[in-house]
Amino acid sequence: MQTVAKLIDTTLCIGCKACEVACQEWNDQEFTMGVFNNTYQTMPDLAPNFWNLIKFNELEIDGAQSWLMAKYQCMHCADAGCIAACPAPGAIMRLPNGIVDFAQDHCIGCGYCITGCPFDVPRLCAKTKKVYKCSLCSDRVAVGLEPSCIKACPTSCLTFGSRDDLKFAADKRAADLRKSGFQQAGVYDGPGVGGTNVIYVLKHADRPTDYGLPKNPSIPWTVQLWKGPVKLLGNLVFVGGLLAAFVHFIRVGPKESHDE
Amino acid sequence: MSSARVTRFSSAERLTHWLTAISFLYAGLSGLAIWSRRMWWAAIALGGGETVRAWHPIAGVVFALLLATMFRRWSAQMRLDADDKRWLAVSHKYAVHQEGGVPESGRFNAGQKMLFWLQSSSAILLFASGAVLWFPELMPRTLRLAAILIHPIASVASIGGIIVHIYMSTLVVPGALRAMLRGWVTPAWAASHHAKWFREIK
Repeated sequence: MQTVAKLIDTTLCIGCKACEVACQEWNDQEFTMGVFNNTYQTMPDLAPNFWNLIKFNELEIDGAQSWLMAKYQCMHCADAGCIAACPAPGAIMRLPNGIVDFAQDHCIGCGYCITGCPFDVPRLCAKTKKVYKCSLCSDRVAVGLEPSCIKACPTSCLTFGSRDDLKFAADKRAADLRKSGFQQAGVYDGPGVGGTNVIYVLKHADRPTDYGLPKNPSIPWTVQLWKGPVKLLGNLVFVGGLLAAFVHFIRVGPKESHDE
Repeated sequence: MSSARVTRFSSAERLTHWLTAISFLYAGLSGLAIWSRRMWWAAIALGGGETVRAWHPIAGVVFALLLATMFRRWSAQMRLDADDKRWLAVSHKYAVHQEGGVPESGRFNAGQKMLFWLQSSSAILLFASGAVLWFPELMPRTLRLAAILIHPIASVASIGGIIVHIYMSTLVVPGALRAMLRGWVTPAWAASHHAKWFREIK
C-alpha cells in the first residue's frame, strides 16, 4: 500500500486557522475558550481535544520582521517514538498507509508516548485518562477522502497524496524558492525518525526551531536505551536467573542442616 | 533437642515482610506487564491495563512505606562485618555447599545483607522515578526522560535480587520459609546456618 503524506508549504500559509476549525468539526471536538495575548495565537497549545495548531512565530531574521506560521500536529513518523515507548498492546498502530493512529480503548493512560514523542504531540486527557492526537483523519483516508484540514485550506498550503509524490513536489518547491532568492529554503521531513509523513517546505530551513520544529528529531536516547540494551539485559537477568536457579537446584540442591 | 524451637522472627517482622512481599508481587508483576508485551497476560490477570496503570504506583507507595519500616527495624543488623566481607569473597563456595573456609554468619548472612541493601537502594530509585512517571502531565520533560530509563534499570536489579531471594528461601534452605511464616527454627537449623547468632542467643 502506498504511504500517504501531508505537505505543508509554510510559505503559502496565511494563518486563517481554517484547518484548526475543520479538525475540530470533523473530529467532533468540544469548543475550548482561547486566550488573548495581543497576538494571533488564540489557541496556546495542542490539547486532548485540539489536535491541529497554527503556531504564529513573530521574530526578526536578518534585520527583517518575519512572521513564520507553521501548522503543528502529529508528524506520523516512520520510526515513531510513541510506538517505541507504548506498553499497551494495540493502543498505537502504524497503518499500512503510514498513518500512526491511537486506539483509545486500548490506551492505559501511562503517558509514555508523550515522553517518547520527539515532537511533543500527544496530550493526556485528565478526564478520560487517555491520550489523543491527530489521526491524519484515518477514517476519512480509509474511504478515499483527504484529511479535513487539507479540505479546508484555501491557499493550497496543505496538500495530501502519496508520500513519494509530495516529497518530489516539496523538493521542487524548495528549489524554486532558492532560485527566487530565498537561499535557506528547504524541506523538513525528519530523517532522524525514518522520515515523517508530514512534510514541510520552510523558507528558513536552516532554523526549524524558529518554526517550533525540533532541529534533529529522533527517538529520545533514554527510550532507545531502555527498549534496546536495558531490555535485553533485563530479560537475560530474569530468564537467566530462573534458569540458573533451576540448574543449581538440580545439580547442587538444598543446603540441609546438620544434625547435632 | 529436636523438638525445641528457637524464635527467629517476631510476628511484627513476619507481618511486615509478607505485606512487603505482597505489594512487591503486585508492583513487580504489573511492572513486568509494562516491561514487555510478552508479560501482558499479567496486566490482564491483575485487572486490565487501565487498572494496572492506576494501581501499580499505589502498590509502589505501599511497598516503599513497608520497606521503610523494614529498613528502620533491620538496617543496624544489616551492617557488613569483617566475617561478612570474607564470606562474600568465598560466596562461590557457599553456593555449592562447601563449608570449609566459609565464615559463620550472624542473624543474617552476608548474602541476605547484600539483598537488603540492594532492595533498599533500588527502592529509592524506583520511588523517585516512579513519582515522575505517575504524573507525566505535571513533570518536566527532562525528568520524564530520565525516569523512563531509571525505573526499568532499578526494577531489573530489584527483581533479579528477589528471584535469588525466593529461590534460596524456598528451595535451597529448608526451614527458612517456615521461619518467616511461623517464626521459629530448630536448634540444628540455627547452628547450621547462623552459628554466630545461635551462640549469641543461647
